[in-house]
Amino acid sequence: MELKIGHLYPDVLNLYGDRGNILCMEKRLQWRGIDVVTTGVPIGEPLKASDFDLLFIGGGQDFEQEVLLADLAGAKTAELKAAIEDGIPVLAICGGYQMLGAYYKTWDGHQCDFTGALDLYTVGSKERMIGNYAFACDELGVNVVGFENHSGKTWLGPSVKPMGTVLAGFGNNGEDKTEGARYKNVFATYSHGCLLPKNPALADHILKTALERKYGQIDLAPLDDHLEHSAHDYMERRLSRN
Amino acid sequence: MKIRVLFSVLACKLSRFAIRLLGRGGTDFPGRVALKLCPDVLGHLAKNVTTVIVTGTNGKTTTSRMIEQALADSGISYFANKSGANLLSGVTAEFAMHSSMTGKCKYDYALIEADEAAFKFISRYVNVKAVVVTNVFRDQLDRYGEVTHTLDNIRLGIANCPNAVLCLNADDSLSGSLAEVVDNPVVFYGVDTPIYKNRVEELSDAPYCIRCKHAYVYDYVTYGHLGGYRCPHCGNRRPDPAVSVREVVESNAERSRIVFSVDGADYPAAVNLPGGYNIYNACAAMACGQVLGLDLVVVAGSLSEFACGFGRMEKFDIGGASLRMILIKNPAGCNQVLNFLTDITEPFVFAVCLNDRAQDGKDVSWIWDVDFERLVNMGDVLDKVLVSGVRADDMALRFRYAGLPMDKLEVIRDYGALTKVCIAQDKPVYIMPTYTAMLDLRTTISKQYGFKAFWE
Repeated sequence: MELKIGHLYPDVLNLYGDRGNILCMEKRLQWRGIDVVTTGVPIGEPLKASDFDLLFIGGGQDFEQEVLLADLAGAKTAELKAAIEDGIPVLAICGGYQMLGAYYKTWDGHQCDFTGALDLYTVGSKERMIGNYAFACDELGVNVVGFENHSGKTWLGPSVKPMGTVLAGFGNNGEDKTEGARYKNVFATYSHGCLLPKNPALADHILKTALERKYGQIDLAPLDDHLEHSAHDYMERRLSRN
Repeated sequence: MKIRVLFSVLACKLSRFAIRLLGRGGTDFPGRVALKLCPDVLGHLAKNVTTVIVTGTNGKTTTSRMIEQALADSGISYFANKSGANLLSGVTAEFAMHSSMTGKCKYDYALIEADEAAFKFISRYVNVKAVVVTNVFRDQLDRYGEVTHTLDNIRLGIANCPNAVLCLNADDSLSGSLAEVVDNPVVFYGVDTPIYKNRVEELSDAPYCIRCKHAYVYDYVTYGHLGGYRCPHCGNRRPDPAVSVREVVESNAERSRIVFSVDGADYPAAVNLPGGYNIYNACAAMACGQVLGLDLVVVAGSLSEFACGFGRMEKFDIGGASLRMILIKNPAGCNQVLNFLTDITEPFVFAVCLNDRAQDGKDVSWIWDVDFERLVNMGDVLDKVLVSGVRADDMALRFRYAGLPMDKLEVIRDYGALTKVCIAQDKPVYIMPTYTAMLDLRTTISKQYGFKAFWE
């Protein structure tokens, strides 16, 4: 078996640790004897979604996000939307998550139009929502821990579901207790930094989704995840004390 | 008004005295007491003191120690905030401690290392003659948000120093761009040649032109986003430095030998700390010497004499064991440490102490941006990896995904136990702690083996 991962904008959307999610997916496939090839799709290069089995989009700083907006508009947006409707698995983090929505409106009213691939939008606030946080992911029956750092408040429309319910921290907007977005095979979350290594159940679920879309029903061999669980449980305990 | 200054200084000195009696540092609290009693006390204390400020993301402390040695060797009367207390409160405490009871400073010069965000509060009160900006990298985004915010903070700090000359890093497109948004005279410094033969893979913190957002082209890269950049679209380019490192003659595990070029004259120097980033720090110190009108032969000589700051490649020889402590706080700095380590050919032990308190940066995810794979790929030269600190588990995970054989990895949570294990090694040990881990480790080592405490 082989999985082809497309990494969108690795040149600009690479804020704090996003690369670790790719690393984590690659290793968890390789440890099971599954081949994996990751290809970057930087600014200026066209996206051909049929080349990939899974797409990853990370987060970036505002300065760099402006650089890529012009590149994203047009053909890339159309290709991305069609692939998502077709069921390609996507993991989108923070800025990448926001970009799947309709737009980002800054707190002083300036609007940036995004892809509109998912029924959601983001409004900037003056205060940044920063810190370790946790949410209950009902779909998998596990609690996910991560680190969030965003000033945008994201609001979900009726056609997408949240990825989970906030247990500690802010999540999508710090108000409605939702965190992240789920639509078809898209997994979108504010959990930047390294989401997957500390949440191996989620990592495997995304990998399984991608592999099954390509090869039909499969079972992923279990791995020795004691270090993963130790890091996860430490943060979960710490957050539950607050 | 005057009486408030008096009370404020007295309270500061007394609380420092009391805290030291308890055997602790007291580098910050006495300053907070002083500011409470007299919010503008720093303005009174700093009135007739010529101040040099060193700020930027990486290298502040080491650059300050180099400048300090140059001041001492030039026979200048100065004091410095040596303990790393670089916020308004800590700087205020240092001024108070170096003043008489009536608030008159005993020295002509103050050499102040300032936190990037605190610089604008400090500079409001002091008479700044030179501002040295080391560089701007991604650092503690949990605190500053984005690098552009850091730049803006430094710009606001400079706005309070109309009489200062700036020493800016020509090779850093981020901090170098400050020259365009302020009116102060600028002395650029830089390194004219590549430093490393093989560099770790690292992300650039500034791939796109800060003016027009097109991609930069590099004639050479020294490390990170530093080097000979130019923008083919708008013509923005690395400015020609007035103070430059013309040649890196030798760079080994102990020191670097370099040749400076200033106004057409050569100044050979030996920097008594290894690592390419210390070549930049040396160059910044040289530029500062130029601005202060010091004899540059003396400044170049000081670089082989200065005492490094705590945890900045600090060496401990304990009972035959060799420990080097190298502070880390962000991916750029950490990658430079790895650039240094991957040049080593004798087997060594590597230890990381990862904390996530406010001063360390609460977000530890940057460890995933660091090319630890390069370290793991050194094979047998990397004898063992010890991980410790509040976030030891995250660090262990990082090494698991970097492909380290798990029998080489050991998680040791307690610093006392870690220190014992380090000292028992028959190979050199390189310890990479974050800031608060460095302070804790140092305290442990001081207590067990009688080294100086961090405030001494």
